[in-house]
Amino acid sequence: MSEKPLKTDEQLIADFQNGNENAFVELVDRYKDRLVNFVYRFLHDMTDAEDMVQETFFKVYKNKHAYREIAKFSTWIYTIAGNLARSELRKRKRRKTYTMSDLSFDDNEFTPVDTGKDTEGIVFNSYAGEEIMKAIYALPEPFKTIIILRDIQELSYEDISTILDIPMGTVKSRVNRARLKLQETLSYLKE
Amino acid sequence: MQNTDCTFICEQFTEYHENSLSSEIRAQVDTHLASCPACTEIFHKLAEVIDTLHNLPTLKASTDFTSTLLSRIETLKQETVWQKIYQSSYTRVAGYAIAAGLIVAIGINIMIDPISPMKSGLQSNFAGEQVNPNQSDESLVEVSDSSANQPADSLTLQNPTINSQSQSMQLVSGKK
Repeated sequence: MSEKPLKTDEQLIADFQNGNENAFVELVDRYKDRLVNFVYRFLHDMTDAEDMVQETFFKVYKNKHAYREIAKFSTWIYTIAGNLARSELRKRKRRKTYTMSDLSFDDNEFTPVDTGKDTEGIVFNSYAGEEIMKAIYALPEPFKTIIILRDIQELSYEDISTILDIPMGTVKSRVNRARLKLQETLSYLKE
Repeated sequence: MQNTDCTFICEQFTEYHENSLSSEIRAQVDTHLASCPACTEIFHKLAEVIDTLHNLPTLKASTDFTSTLLSRIETLKQETVWQKIYQSSYTRVAGYAIAAGLIVAIGINIMIDPISPMKSGLQSNFAGEQVNPNQSDESLVEVSDSSANQPADSLTLQNPTINSQSQSMQLVSGKK
């Protein structure tokens, strides 16, 4: 006997809009890790990242009828989470101007967890990971967002285009420039 | 980067790495890389960065994430119920009715309260009795004047225990 096929995100949000709260919990389970992973790359603080993701789901709950099925649910929720994360970053910048030397990373906050990939193929090591996180954090805002969406969240160009509301061609060129900038920053950090 | 060719080639690196360039441009990049060590080095470093990014560990939300969220939502629901009660038209009408009732009650209380503010033309003396201020001065003068011609017993009526306006008037006229 075959298992019941999983509902799509769009079917779940439709169920939730019709009053099925279990559909909301299912969406939370599907997206909580992805969003924590996403927001953490902006904020570099696990507690803040979880708070922002909680806030994201809270907004989804309160504004469930704001979602229209003209966009994918994933792009909608990434947009909300991204806006909250960037807003938090702006607040932080107003409070304090960070320099590269200010950035420190708590090892406990960056414990590798279930990459879902074969460990033999992983280039990542803690040194490279820390360096790359510093470099991402130091990137100018448009590059930072696009690198996180494309290279960490591995979203399609089409989804990124929808989330950032910019043409696909612009997304591609920004990804390229962001990667070059990141590579330059990493070279600078290693010197 | 050495020249405009290098700039153009670097702009193609992302799609070159993802193998999504047209065959014509891909051949152009291949040719350039074969003769430009600077661009080749940039491309190799870029490919390394991309691989590192793709292999960063996936972080997970804490185990109590969902339960914390759901309890927050439960609190929101309770707040919403109270807000609905507060904002409902029935509640507002009831609020207005209570406010109107209080105003009427206070008004009635003011009208019947013995320690109410002075009525026009009358003042209370220290005993709480009402006297006419215009007449009392005159009557005292007249009582004083008339007291000279009155028997001793009538003088006893001049004491401050006058307890009504009619008695005061009797004093003015000299009657008992």
